[in-house]
Amino acid sequence: MTKYTMSVKEFLEESRKGNINFLDFAAALLEETQKLNKKFQLLREICDIRDRLYLNPPLNGLPISVKDCICVKGVQSYAGSKILEGYIPTFDATCVDRLKDNGVTILGKTNQDEFGFGTFSTNSGFEVPKNPLDPLRSCGGSSGGAAGLVAALDYPHVALAQSTGGSISAPAAFCGVVGITPTYGLVSRYGLIDYANSLDKIGVIGKSVHDVALILSIISGKDEKDQTSIGEKKDYSKDLSSTKDLKGVKIAVPKEYFQNLEEEVEKEVWNAIKKMESNGATYEKVSLKNTKYGVAAYYIIATAEASTNLAKYCGMRYGMHGKLEGNFNEYFSTVRTSGLTEEAKRRIILGTFTRMAGYRDAYYLKAMKIRTLIIEEHKNIFKKFDVIASPSMPIQPPKFKEIKKLTPVENYQMDFLTIPANLAGMPHLSVPVAKKTPIGLHLTADHLSEDKLFKIGSVFEKVR
Amino acid sequence: MIFMVTIGLEVHVQLMTETKLFCSCSNKFTTIPNTHVCETCLGMPGSKPRLNKKAVEQAIKIGLALNCKINHEMFFSRKSYFYPDMSKNFQITQYEMPICFDGFLELNGRKIRIRRIQMEEDPARLIHEGAIEKAKNVLVDYNRSGTPLCEIVTEPDFTSPQEARLFLQELSLMLEYLGVYDPNTEGSIRVDANISLPKGKRVEVKNVSGFKEVERAFSYEIIRQSSLLKRGQKIVMETRGWNAESGTTISLRSKETEDDYGYIFETDLPTVEVSKKAMELKYGMPEFAKQKVERYEREFRIGREMALSIVSEPDIADAFETAVKEIDTHISATFFSKMLKKVLNYENLRLKQTGLETKWLITIMKKLENKEITDRAAELLLRDMVLKPQDPEILLKLRGLTRIDTEEALDPIVLNVLSKNSLAIIDYKHGKPESLEFLVGQVMRATQGRADPVITRKVIHKRLDE
Repeated sequence: MTKYTMSVKEFLEESRKGNINFLDFAAALLEETQKLNKKFQLLREICDIRDRLYLNPPLNGLPISVKDCICVKGVQSYAGSKILEGYIPTFDATCVDRLKDNGVTILGKTNQDEFGFGTFSTNSGFEVPKNPLDPLRSCGGSSGGAAGLVAALDYPHVALAQSTGGSISAPAAFCGVVGITPTYGLVSRYGLIDYANSLDKIGVIGKSVHDVALILSIISGKDEKDQTSIGEKKDYSKDLSSTKDLKGVKIAVPKEYFQNLEEEVEKEVWNAIKKMESNGATYEKVSLKNTKYGVAAYYIIATAEASTNLAKYCGMRYGMHGKLEGNFNEYFSTVRTSGLTEEAKRRIILGTFTRMAGYRDAYYLKAMKIRTLIIEEHKNIFKKFDVIASPSMPIQPPKFKEIKKLTPVENYQMDFLTIPANLAGMPHLSVPVAKKTPIGLHLTADHLSEDKLFKIGSVFEKVR
Repeated sequence: MIFMVTIGLEVHVQLMTETKLFCSCSNKFTTIPNTHVCETCLGMPGSKPRLNKKAVEQAIKIGLALNCKINHEMFFSRKSYFYPDMSKNFQITQYEMPICFDGFLELNGRKIRIRRIQMEEDPARLIHEGAIEKAKNVLVDYNRSGTPLCEIVTEPDFTSPQEARLFLQELSLMLEYLGVYDPNTEGSIRVDANISLPKGKRVEVKNVSGFKEVERAFSYEIIRQSSLLKRGQKIVMETRGWNAESGTTISLRSKETEDDYGYIFETDLPTVEVSKKAMELKYGMPEFAKQKVERYEREFRIGREMALSIVSEPDIADAFETAVKEIDTHISATFFSKMLKKVLNYENLRLKQTGLETKWLITIMKKLENKEITDRAAELLLRDMVLKPQDPEILLKLRGLTRIDTEEALDPIVLNVLSKNSLAIIDYKHGKPESLEFLVGQVMRATQGRADPVITRKVIHKRLDE
């Protein structure tokens, strides 16, 4: 406990009253962050906070950490990859720009799997973040540093994160914090270092539903710099406290989401559903038949797109450079061989294969069709239900030595609960089943129904 | 032995938009390298493309002018290959659903079929210091990166290099009338061709600029292939580059199989509906050269040759159409088709490049109409004006090019000429009438073309007959 141990709500209240000495606050925050980082390796870059204070209302300098793959002008952005060593963006991502306009303190860049390629933050070109709940275990990934910092830092703080196939829900669940992955397009991807453009979504991880709703309200909405962005400005945090119960809320519980789960996870998530029921909600078991194709379709689409996105890293204009030798092909290969990790190479090879002439129809185009079927299947569910409930992850955070034993396919299979919502581009919220417990209740809603998720999530926070 | 040759073209046209295809960088040419660049056209991590609507409109116009079908919707794809001129090592182009397809251009009564028209981004420009084979370094200028291109793909409908050249000239003029491209910018139209002979293989000749070069390159390639066949050798499927300096094509890479670019959808750019815009643009198409020629013949009763000369540049046609409102049709048609074209061709310029104002040209024509200046003087004026655009009234005063058409004024000049040309006088007296014309020419020369030829002849006659 420090004198700055307070919630975001309290911080906004105190700072508005002028009760916070910002220089003192910043210095204490910096010291604490550095201390935690030594212990858990959560951040790749810690900013000199005093240079990055934006103290204007309404956020009055609230500390925000940014996932490494989101560009902050003038701050090294590695996206977890050595190949980007030396890349200092000349521009702010739109979400960062909007936060600065609303007055935040940029704390630093949080660790992640290289370009988002992972579920445990272990596929990184740099240090692997450790779970503050148990340092022998993974934070989850790929936004592991973001969730870990939210869990570890006792200060008011919210983290910008990003998900392609579950990279917000997985670490939020494992670190016992809240993560919102919004509808595809609701937050501009301008300034996000691409993993898979049709799947990437910027979202928020925080200590409470209120915190993530507050920050999403600021960063969401159409941006002319990203032509896939959509949505109106909306204050998601406004009426949260006025919702007292879950009367009338209809929950779908897909049976496919309750297979191959760790016992404890299954038990806790059922408990959570029952708690919602006792607070007015009704639930019904349903079936999402295409779930079994989700992981395969996802990894085909995501790696196909990733393999084109990663082509630009060749040691020519930014990032890592090599010794100029041989023709351009040889030079590019040398740089890419030394700059990318094994997992990145695996995904480049997989993705290149699935879009080659002759395989394209069998893999890439078929996966796109499956994706359409999964969207339709979800749309049908939401004709009758408000949300789909499931666990966020099939297991509790594994130990690092257990992760090492997983084959790539076993590893990819860990995402089977988060992938369908990500493929469908539908918003989903991970809320811990109990405070500081590394099991997440996963709620998915229809496109642009974030407000529904926040209302249900904040009631659940009170009754869990 | 005559070979039946088959040629198909892929024509890349740089569109004349204010900004680039996927960012707001200027699309204007500049000689200072890497100044019209931003995070998007440099392919910086985190940047995103956004589509330039004006470029889409221009592509639709091209499709309409080439009698194409316009797709209801279109989207972009990523074409992946590694090359140092590529900012992202993939090109944003169109694959499954291009903007236009199935069109044609009529060439001397024959239809050249257009397979498809697609929009794409131009890569950066590579500059090899010295010759490409010997250069130690290569410089990259990203000013060109992201320039909007329209790729027009024809069916293999050409049977000679001459025909291909004619097609490109017609296409170029059409594009100029559409106002979508600037023929004066170097590399604004670049051609790849697939050339094949019977019993041969398809050979691709890449990146030829300039219509004359196209004819040269293709002719060379046909001779190369036919002499291989004559000697009983095989033609390999390959890609060749044109070396304008040596006048030969050189093998760049063999093509054992079709290139595999691993196309996927470009999901950073949403699907665009184009059919509605096409309906709108259909009614605003300009009058093209061919229609203009017909109209000029009908409306102004001028000859086909003259009309063709006038419509050879949209700016000349515009100026002509303005001029005929106040100047005699014959005078203005002759002025534009003969005099102005001659001066422009001599300097290898187009009217657009000179900065000449139509009102100045009208001033000159009025003076011709009123016989204030001679044809010769008008031409001299134009020669000065195309190099340095200026008001002919001022230039006339400076250079004193007004017509000398009184006997009193010409008499001393004639006397002076006669005193220096006694031989011609003797010839004349011995009944050689052509020496009279020689003397008239000398007076013209002495007056820099200002002397009225009819009056001059009269004065010389008078003096010689004395």
